[in-house]
Amino acid sequence: MHDFPPLVHAYSDGPAGAPERGEVFRHPDLRGPKRFLLWLLRQQWQVVVVACLVSMLEWLPGSVGPYVIGRVIDDGIRAGDPGTTVRLLLVLLGLVLVGVVAGVLYHTLVVRSWLIGMYGPMKLVTRKSTQLGSVLSRRSPTGEVLSVSASDSDEFGGLTQIVSEAVGAFIATLVIAGLVLSTSVPLGLLVLVAAPLIVLLVVPLFRPLQRREETERNRSSELTGLATDIVAGLRILRGIGGERTFGRNYATQSDLTRRAGVSAGIWQAAVDSCGVLLSGLFLVLLVWLGTRSVLSGGLSVGELVSFAGYAVFMVWPVQSFFTFAQKWIRSIVSARKAVTLLTEDPPWDAGDPTLALPREGALADDRSGFVAEPGRMTALVSAVPEESAALADRLGRYLPARRGAVGLDVDATLHGRALRRARDEQRARRRAVAAEDRAVANGRTGVTLGGVDLGEVPVRAVRERVLVSDASSSTFAGTLQSVLDPHGRLTREQAEAAVHAAVAEDVYEALPGGWQGVVEERGRGLSGGQRQRLVLARALALEPDVLVLVEPTSAVDAHTEAEIGVRLRAARSGRTTVVVTASPLLLHQADTVALLHDGRVVETGTHEELLHGSAAYRRVVTRSAVDQWEASDV
Amino acid sequence: MSDLAVTGTPEVAVDGALAARPLPDSAQTWSEERVPARVPAALLPPSTRSPGRRLAAWRSRHRLRAARAQAYYDGSLHPERALPVATRGVVGRFALALVRSRRRTVVALLVLHALAALAGLVVPRVVGRLVDQTAAGGTSVDSVDALALAVGAVVVVQAVLTFLALRMSVLFGQDLLASAREQVVDTVLALPLGRVESASSGDLVTRVTRDVSEMSRSVRYGLPEAAVAAATTVLTIGAMLLNSLFLAVPLLLSLPVLVVAVRRYLARAAQGYVTEGGTYSLINTSLTETVEGARTVEALGLQERRNTVNDDDIAESSQAERYTMALRNLLFGGLGLAFDTPLVLVLALGAYGYARGWVTLGQLTAATLYLQALKEPLQRLIRNLDQLQVGIASTARLLGVAEVPQDREAGDALPVGSRLTGTDLRFAYRPGRDVLHGVDLALRPGERLAIVGPSGSGKSTLGRLLAGINGPRTGSVTVGGVELLELPLPVLRTEVALVTQEHHVFAGSVRDNVVLAREDAGDDVVLEALRTVEALDWVERLPHGLDTRLGSGHLEPTPSQAQQIALARLVVADPHTLVLDEATSLIDPTTARHLEGSMAALLADRTVVAIAHRLHTAHDADRIAVVIDGRIAELGSHHDLVAADGEYARLWRAWTS
Repeated sequence: MHDFPPLVHAYSDGPAGAPERGEVFRHPDLRGPKRFLLWLLRQQWQVVVVACLVSMLEWLPGSVGPYVIGRVIDDGIRAGDPGTTVRLLLVLLGLVLVGVVAGVLYHTLVVRSWLIGMYGPMKLVTRKSTQLGSVLSRRSPTGEVLSVSASDSDEFGGLTQIVSEAVGAFIATLVIAGLVLSTSVPLGLLVLVAAPLIVLLVVPLFRPLQRREETERNRSSELTGLATDIVAGLRILRGIGGERTFGRNYATQSDLTRRAGVSAGIWQAAVDSCGVLLSGLFLVLLVWLGTRSVLSGGLSVGELVSFAGYAVFMVWPVQSFFTFAQKWIRSIVSARKAVTLLTEDPPWDAGDPTLALPREGALADDRSGFVAEPGRMTALVSAVPEESAALADRLGRYLPARRGAVGLDVDATLHGRALRRARDEQRARRRAVAAEDRAVANGRTGVTLGGVDLGEVPVRAVRERVLVSDASSSTFAGTLQSVLDPHGRLTREQAEAAVHAAVAEDVYEALPGGWQGVVEERGRGLSGGQRQRLVLARALALEPDVLVLVEPTSAVDAHTEAEIGVRLRAARSGRTTVVVTASPLLLHQADTVALLHDGRVVETGTHEELLHGSAAYRRVVTRSAVDQWEASDV
Repeated sequence: MSDLAVTGTPEVAVDGALAARPLPDSAQTWSEERVPARVPAALLPPSTRSPGRRLAAWRSRHRLRAARAQAYYDGSLHPERALPVATRGVVGRFALALVRSRRRTVVALLVLHALAALAGLVVPRVVGRLVDQTAAGGTSVDSVDALALAVGAVVVVQAVLTFLALRMSVLFGQDLLASAREQVVDTVLALPLGRVESASSGDLVTRVTRDVSEMSRSVRYGLPEAAVAAATTVLTIGAMLLNSLFLAVPLLLSLPVLVVAVRRYLARAAQGYVTEGGTYSLINTSLTETVEGARTVEALGLQERRNTVNDDDIAESSQAERYTMALRNLLFGGLGLAFDTPLVLVLALGAYGYARGWVTLGQLTAATLYLQALKEPLQRLIRNLDQLQVGIASTARLLGVAEVPQDREAGDALPVGSRLTGTDLRFAYRPGRDVLHGVDLALRPGERLAIVGPSGSGKSTLGRLLAGINGPRTGSVTVGGVELLELPLPVLRTEVALVTQEHHVFAGSVRDNVVLAREDAGDDVVLEALRTVEALDWVERLPHGLDTRLGSGHLEPTPSQAQQIALARLVVADPHTLVLDEATSLIDPTTARHLEGSMAALLADRTVVAIAHRLHTAHDADRIAVVIDGRIAELGSHHDLVAADGEYARLWRAWTS
């Protein structure tokens, strides 16, 4: 039987070969939200089936118990037969013990089922994110990807749990109906009709409830966003001011959230009290008809007690059906988002996996005329930093930067035709983005390495040869050793050399515990300059054949930057390196410097040659980016 | 830039300024074991089939999980480098005060819930009476019909009361929650300036997000449900006693079992659930890193690494889930025994008592129905008790924020003039480790002073002292003769401002984002500030002008627009002295060229201290202070320092060569 956590091997070319035992979640059914949910259930069908059977046993004391109680009263107590009483009570005790054991077992199974149903999709989201890589941010907003993992996956877990419970409840209802039918056909039919009727009467309340809950969730997450925003900008708020304004903004949103919460809560109260009303009326109806039947001689007193017991118990199955209906509706909303995210595919054509880029040769870009000679350090200077950053992206065959990803689902408060129209529009927009990406991503790129166009080989082959390290490069939480050597391939000497080359000794020293010192997520706790040098050290340690560094020292002070220039050159000697920078301390170290203007290389030479020979170059380099403040001297 | 031409090309670049140094303990701390397992092997089930050994192994795993949960829980109460945590007493007084200010609501709430629970207790009693009457044969169809109708009416009343009680709970809970979270945010907004600048924001973010949502969950579901369940449980037990003392004996006997099982559970549940919650936020943190660093993942080929991290996070979470699952299993087993076996005992006693005429069939019926009806509220009560415990732990962390002591006390004196002077400044982040060793620095009004020096030399710390963010350990910083730390914040802000990470754009309107320092300022001030930084053009083109909402989900300004907004804030604040820290201001090189004019407008006619990374900043300054090892090593104009041929001169030659 499956156990948690499930093994998931989708969306990665990881360890291929025969699937391990218990492995699931290989090819999600993405043809629609309902199919996806059914697929999820199929992934752990054994657990679900066993849980249904055990759930039936767990319901047993409640469903069959009243029957035995009735028999105790009729055949034992009223008949004054202690022998029968004891025998029947032993049967009842047996039922109770079966129920207790089944209860514990069922809980174990249900937790397992819930967690398989939750962890599985969580793992799928992570795998999809790593598979999409650099295009992920073009396709889906970060927050929504996270919420598929954090909250939608939980809905899926909840659904798998409630399925087995509802099946057990359904069988318990059938058992009760059967028991009642065996004594009174009309009352049996009443039980059979009443349970679904109660559910049908309450279900219409679920959709408005769910819409209000969705509104509450949205407002509440916006409120959380505001709080996070206040903390993120707290230095400014305390340094410059504005506490009152943002305190007030928070209070306003807090009030909106409160109102949404009240509105959803009142609907929930209505649903709950409808449940109380209908179950109560059902109880009264059953007992009333039963009593009349006793009076007319159709039923015994014990049987009447049994009926009352059934009616009290029936609250539970009915509650289970309510929960099932509610969770199914929510799960479909969640499944729609999950399916949308999981349907996204990387834009790159697979290509011939045997093709690779040559190790030797110049890296050249047709469009700009930029050439990085093999084994040399080439610097790229531009008055417009966006231009050089775009060129760096092209050199690594990355898609150009793009803002404003399309959301996974539309505003949940819409309904009816407006909802369908919004969904269609959004689907069309997603398709357009994907098509645009594919068009840009494939075919000739105009960038060649050793004469081979980057577009002629699979994108993986490009990544193996060319490493672009730009401002977006981030570190992942872990020990310093794992940050510097994520693949676990370095010797200690190599790691020390990389730290030395990036002049990052102070990062090592700042962390207690040396290599095992912990770097927090996104390098929190390190200064901007320390983070930047850590990223540089990591890039150098990977020893890529071609390394493209974009503004690698923008947050580093001049003393350190000068040292980085010297050590970087030594560390990369004999390898092709491109440095996008305007800092003389780095430019001085480059073998060649290219000046980019309007997307074209207009000057090439050494730093000294250009400094003396090109007025345009001098303007860019000596008025380097950050020191604007003296401009006011004029 | 005339001196560029005359500067020759030195043979050797800067060398020896930062000599290669060995990494201490490198050999001792480098691990050859590549991926240390996050879940220890002792937590994996053994492969043996013998049930005895499996049970023993499970027990030892359970104990290990309990120890891990306890350790995590203790750590979460007192995290390193974090803000304080309030004691239980403080939490209790806080809750009491909140409840007290809504006394009438609370009373109404309790009465409604009690009435609803009472109405629910009528039905089994009436069924019992019906049983008695029909058994005695002394009843007619008419009276049965009338009784059924009456009970039907009771059910309707019960439903209405339930609705009203739940509605009241929602109103009360949401109101309580809203005022609690607003209070927390107000506290955060009043954190001492020095503390805000130094503490890692991670802890605070966790508090205002996770702890607020835990608290809200407790308030929204935990509190009302626990109240309802407690009322129902107590009243049902009361009704059973009223119905028949004799038949209530089994329930009373099982109460000790119940109490023991629940106490054992509650003693461990909070630790278990806090640990579990921690593992989920770990999963989310790692996924956030993966998603935000997706490009890095692709560039470095880390796909499998990140997938493994996710697997490990989930494996850890599974362990936490197994622990709480075991806790619940033990509880449910105990509860089942305590609640289901009394049914058998009641019937046995009933049979015995009925034969002797001590109880009627109706009492017996009512007793069995009460027992069946008791199970649910009790389970609900226990389920909600652990949520309440988690909520209390979160509330304690939230209230802890308020216990950070204020770092300054405002005096009455107002500065005369704008002369900023620091004398004998020493400062330590950790006791006994001064990063500044007696710095004297007098700013001349209107001058441009650049501070240069290697990282870690203390230049950023000097900037923070000059801006009044932190107070010096010894010595003093005065503006116009008054200590910076004795100025009220609104006054301090109009004297001197530290420009750090100022590219943050708040979620709020354009106006909200600009008026910060003078919140009462009118639109004319805001528009004038935007015009000064050359941002008026694009702001006027916005759909709602100053009211346009900025921030994620709304209009996201480009990086250079964000910078302009930040500069406009400073124009509104209008301090006579600005401290610019390049290291933390992270002025984005891609935006700087758009900002030349904006920046110039801001800096005109002000005293400026620039903590510089770029030597051109220093070159154009009136004076340059070279800070090395917490002391000012060189101080003078560019030409003075170049002539002095010291540290600065060496750097300058490297820069311009």
